[in-house]
Amino acid sequence: MKKESIGKILLGKWDTRTIVGVAIGIALFAVLMVYGSITVFTNTNLSLAMIVPVIVGGLFGPLPAALACGVGNVLADLIGGWGFWFDWSIGNAVLGFIVGSLKLYGANIDEGVFDVKHIIIYAVTVVVGSIFAFGIITPIFTKIIFGGELKISIAQGWVASVSNIIVLLVAGIPILKALAARNARGRDLTKE
Amino acid sequence: MSKSPIVEFKDFTFRYSTQREPTLKNINLTIYEGEKVLILGPSGCGKSTLANCINGLIPFSYPGEIQGSCKIAGNETSNSSIFNLSAVVGTVLQDSDAQFVGLSVGGDIAYALENDNMPREEMLPRVLNSATLVGMHEFLEHVPYNLSGGQKQRVSLAGIMHDHVKILLFDEPLAALDPQMGNQAIDLIDQIQKNNNCTVIIIEHRLEDVLYRPVDRIILLEDGQIVADMTPNELLCSNIIVEKGIREPLYLQALKMAGCNVTIEDNPCNVFNMNLEKYKDQLISYYSSVDTSKPEEDKEVVLEVKNVDFSYDKFKALDDVSFTINKADKIAIVGKNGAGKSTAAKLICGILRPDKGEVLIDGVNYLNYSIKEIGQRIGYVMQNPNQMLVKDIIKDEVSLGLVLNNKSEAEIEKNIEAALKKCDLWPMRNWPVSVVSYGQRKRVTIASILAMNPEIIILDEPTAGQDYRVYTEIMSFLESLNRDFGITILFITHDMHLAIEYTDRAIVFADGQCIGDDSVFRILSDNDIIEQANLKQTSLYSLATRIGLEPEKFIESFIVAERRKRHEKS
Amino acid sequence: MKNLNIINLTKGETFLHQLSGTTKVRLFATLMLYVMMSFDLPIILPLFIFSIIGIISLKPSWKVIKPLVIFVVAINILNVVLYWLANPLCGLEYTGDQTILFAYTDYLVVTKGTLWFLTIRLLKMLTAFSTSLAFIMSITPSELAAGLTSLGFPYKLGSIVEIAFRYIPDISRDYENIAVSMQCRGLELDAKKTKPIERLKQMILILIPLIVTSFDRVGNISNAMDLRGFGKGKKRSYYSEYPERKNDKIFKLIYCLITIFCAYYIISGIITPRDPKMWLYWR
Ligand SMILES: Nc1ncnc2c1ncn2[C@@H]1O[C@H](COP(=O)(O)OP(=O)(O)OP(=O)(O)O)[C@@H](O)[C@H]1O
Ligand SMILES: Nc1ncnc2c1ncn2[C@@H]1O[C@H](COP(=O)(O)OP(=O)(O)OP(=O)(O)O)[C@@H](O)[C@H]1O
Ligand SMILES: [Mg+2]
Ligand SMILES: [Mg+2]
Repeated sequence: MKKESIGKILLGKWDTRTIVGVAIGIALFAVLMVYGSITVFTNTNLSLAMIVPVIVGGLFGPLPAALACGVGNVLADLIGGWGFWFDWSIGNAVLGFIVGSLKLYGANIDEGVFDVKHIIIYAVTVVVGSIFAFGIITPIFTKIIFGGELKISIAQGWVASVSNIIVLLVAGIPILKALAARNARGRDLTKE
Repeated sequence: MSKSPIVEFKDFTFRYSTQREPTLKNINLTIYEGEKVLILGPSGCGKSTLANCINGLIPFSYPGEIQGSCKIAGNETSNSSIFNLSAVVGTVLQDSDAQFVGLSVGGDIAYALENDNMPREEMLPRVLNSATLVGMHEFLEHVPYNLSGGQKQRVSLAGIMHDHVKILLFDEPLAALDPQMGNQAIDLIDQIQKNNNCTVIIIEHRLEDVLYRPVDRIILLEDGQIVADMTPNELLCSNIIVEKGIREPLYLQALKMAGCNVTIEDNPCNVFNMNLEKYKDQLISYYSSVDTSKPEEDKEVVLEVKNVDFSYDKFKALDDVSFTINKADKIAIVGKNGAGKSTAAKLICGILRPDKGEVLIDGVNYLNYSIKEIGQRIGYVMQNPNQMLVKDIIKDEVSLGLVLNNKSEAEIEKNIEAALKKCDLWPMRNWPVSVVSYGQRKRVTIASILAMNPEIIILDEPTAGQDYRVYTEIMSFLESLNRDFGITILFITHDMHLAIEYTDRAIVFADGQCIGDDSVFRILSDNDIIEQANLKQTSLYSLATRIGLEPEKFIESFIVAERRKRHEKS
Repeated sequence: MKNLNIINLTKGETFLHQLSGTTKVRLFATLMLYVMMSFDLPIILPLFIFSIIGIISLKPSWKVIKPLVIFVVAINILNVVLYWLANPLCGLEYTGDQTILFAYTDYLVVTKGTLWFLTIRLLKMLTAFSTSLAFIMSITPSELAAGLTSLGFPYKLGSIVEIAFRYIPDISRDYENIAVSMQCRGLELDAKKTKPIERLKQMILILIPLIVTSFDRVGNISNAMDLRGFGKGKKRSYYSEYPERKNDKIFKLIYCLITIFCAYYIISGIITPRDPKMWLYWR
C-alpha cells in the first residue's frame, strides 16, 4: 500500500464513489434519527445516527465525514420538520470531522485494520470531539445567531456531548470492530 | 456485406487486485455488430466481470490487472475513458434498484442528459420519446418507491436509450420479474434491437425465458473461461447443456423424457416454431401411459389463514385472504410483482398481524404467540440475503438463531454442521460472508434457517439469480427435508419450473387477493388465473396444444413422470 | 414508513410550489440571513406573518404538521423559561431596562426588559422555524439541488442531497426488513421487555447489516452513475428545474431588495453600533 499524504486524507478523494458514500451516509443518518434511538429512562434519547460519520470517515476520510454529519443533521432536521439549526449543524460538522479522522491515525475499516491502539485513539477523539463541538462551538454559534444565555447553551451542549460520547463508545466500538473483522479476513481464502 | 466486430477480446485475462487468482482467464471472444448474444454460466463464473470489462467499469472503477486486449468498437478500453465508452455501451446492471438514481421516473430517464448539461427544453421531448418506447410515458412523475421491479427495469432501459448506443448490455434482467413481465422485458429488448439496430448482450440464468425471442449465439462461461460458443440450436442438442448443468427448457425435457432424439434440423430453440410432427405419436403414447393416480392421504392441518385483511397505512395489501396449509405440504405461492406474496409470508410469521380475520397454528390463534415463539416453528428466508446476514463469518451466521434461542453448545455444533453440509457450504464455513457471491449468500441464509429445525419453512424467491446446479441442489435438499422429516415448505416464486418440479399445490395471488388454490397442473392450465396473476403458460402448455393433447392432463403426466425419474436417479 | 414525508418528492400545485428551485433556495437563504441579523420587532414580525401566510397557501396536511408545531413551540417555550431561570436579568444587556413587574424571591424576578427580550427571542426562533417549514414544504430534492448549484455551490453537493433523498425510503425499508428477520430468528425487540443495555446490543445486531447493505450499494450506485456520465462536465442541467417564469422574476426582485437591505443593515450596524445593541425598544 502506498502511503497517502496527510493533506490528501484530510480532503478525501471527491470521485463518484465518495459522493455516493456521503449521500448514503446522510440517508442512513436520517433513517437512524427516526428509528435508531433508544429510550433510556423516560425522556432521554440516545440516537445511534452519530455512528454514521465515523463509518463515512473510516471509508472516505474526515472531510466527507464532516459533510455527512453536518448535512445529515440539516436534512434530518428538515425531514423531522423542526427547521434549520445552524448552530447545531455546525457543531455536528466539526464533530464529524474529528471522529471521522480514523484514516489519519492509521485505522482502516476497509482493510480490517482496527486494533487496540486505534480503539484508544478513537475513544480520545470521541471525547475531545464531542466536548469541543457541542460544549464550545455550538453554544458560541447559538449565542451569535439567536442570542441568549451562554450558560444554558453550554449546559445543553454538555448534555448532548455526554450522551453522544456514550453512543459513540458503547455502540461505536463494537460496530467498528465487527465491520473491520468482516473485511480483514477477506484475503487468501482456501476451502477446508 | 461482412459484419464488423464490435467487441473483441484477445487473450484477455483479468485479476481483481483483491483476488489471488485471475477471475477471467484467456478470453477470446468476438461479437459482431447487430448480433444478439446470451452469456450463460454458473453463478460466480465471471459473467458480471466480463460485462464490466465491456462497459469500462473495469479498469476504471475496479482496480485490477489486465493482460491481453479488449477492444470495443475498435478502441482499446484501457486507453479509453468511461465517458467515451458510455456513449457506445448502454448497461442495465444486475441490481435495477440501485441503478435507479433519479428521484422520479422522468428524472431518472433524463439522468444521462442532465450530465451532458443539455438544456431542459431539449431534454423533455427526448425523455418522453424514450419513456414511450418502453411504455412508461404515463409514469413520468412517479417516484421509485412506488414502482414495481418490472417498472424499474423498464426505466433503466429507457435511461440508456438516448445516445442510440451501439451495444446494449443486460446483467440478469429477469431475476426479479414475474413471468409475464419477464416476457415483456425480452420482447422489449428484441424490439429495441430491431429498431435501433444495435448489438445486444444478455447475461441470464433463465435460458428458456430468453429464448422466447431469437438469439444468435450463446456463450457459456465456466470458471472464468469460455467453454462453448454456439447457436442456441446447437447448444440445445449437444450434451454440454447437461454436462455443464444448465437447465433445459421444459418442452425439451418433456420430449427427451419421452425418448425423442431432438436434432438441430428440428429448430428446437422455440416451442412455437419447432418441428414436432415426427415426435407427435411418440409423445402421445408416452404421456398417455403415465399412471397419474395417487393414493389418497389424510392431511393434518398445521396452519390456517382465515379471511385475513392487511393494510400498510392506507394501502390494502391483502384483502380477505384464506387458505390452509397441511403438514408436509409443498406449496408454491405465485403471482405478479406487488401482489402481496411477501406480505402474506410476513403475516404467517407473525411479523405483521392481520387487521381483520385470524391465523391459526395447530388450531390456536397465533396472537397468543410472540414473533420469537412463532419463529421457532416457522422459518422465513428473505428475498434479499444481504438483509439477513448479521455476522461476519458464515459459521457464526448459521449458528446465530440457535445462540439467540439459548441452545446448548453440542446441539448448535450438530445442527450447523448438518445445515452447512446440506447447503454445500461446509468447506467455506470459516469464510467471511462478505466475500462470497450473491448465490452463495442466499444459501447461507437458507442454512441459517435450516439450522433451527423449523416445522414450516417459507422461502421468498429461493432460486432468483441462482444457477441450475445450485438450484437443483437446494431444491432436492428441501425436498428431502420434506420427504424424510415431514417439514412443510412454502416457496414464493416467479419460477414456474420450480412450481412444476417441486411443489404439489399452488396458491395464486393477484392484487392482494387469493385467486386460486389448487394443484399446480390445474392452475397452470387455467387461462383466467394465468392472465389475472401475470403468470404465463409454460412451454408444456404450448407443446400440449400443438400436439393436440389436453394441457391439464399433459402437464400432470409430465410432473408425475418427471418426479418418478428424478427419484429413481437419487 | 414513519415520519419521513414532510418533503415532497414531486412538485406540488400551489403558487409557491410552482416557483423554480433557484428562486426558492435564494429566497430562503436571504430570509435566513434577514431573520438572524437582528432582534428588531419591526424586522421580524412581518416575516413571521408572511411565512405563516406562505405555509397556509401551500395547503399542507395539517395532520402531519400539527404535532410538529406543537413540539417546536413547546421546546422553544421551555428554552425561554430555562433562560429566565438561569438569569432573570438576561434582558438587561439588550434592553437596559430593569423595571420589576413581579418578584417571587430576591433572585426570581420578572423585569419588563427580560420579558420583552424573551418574547422577541421566542418570536425570532418561531420565525426561523416557520420560514424553514414553508421552504421545506414547497421544495423537492431535485429543486434543492438545482437551487444550491445556483447559489454557487458545486453541483456535486446538490447531487449528494438528491441521492440521499432517493435512498432514504430504501434504507428505511431495509431497516424494517432486517429487524423483522432478526425477530424471526429469536431476537426480542419489544422495548418494554428489554433493558436499555440489551436494546443497545440488539440495535447493534441490526445496525451491522444495515450499514453493510447501505454501503454495499455505494459501488452499484456509483457504477450506475459513472455509466451514465456523472461528473463528465463542469456544469449539469436539471430535468425538474423549470426555466425562469414571470413569478420567479418578481421574486428575484424581492430577494435582491432584501439582500441589499440586509447588507445595509449589517454594515451600518458595524460602523455605528446601534444602542443598545441591535435593539429597537420602545420605552
Ligand atoms: N469487486 C470485486 N472484487 C474482488 N473479487 C470480485 C469482485 N467482484 C466479483 N469478484 C469475484 O469474481 C468472481 C466472479 O464474479 P462475478 O460477479 O463476475 O460472477 P457472476 O458470474 O456474475 O455470478 P452471478 O451469476 O452470481 O451474478 C467471484 O468469485 C467473485 O468473488
Ligand atoms: N413496508 C411497506 N409499506 C408500504 N407498502 C408496502 C410495504 N411493503 C410492501 N408494500 C406494498 O404492498 C404491496 C405488496 O407487496 P409485496 O412485497 O407483498 O409484493 P410481492 O407479491 O412479494 O411482490 P414481488 O414479487 O415483487 O416481490 C406492494 O404494492 C407494495 O408496494
Ligand atoms: Mg453477476
Ligand atoms: Mg416479494
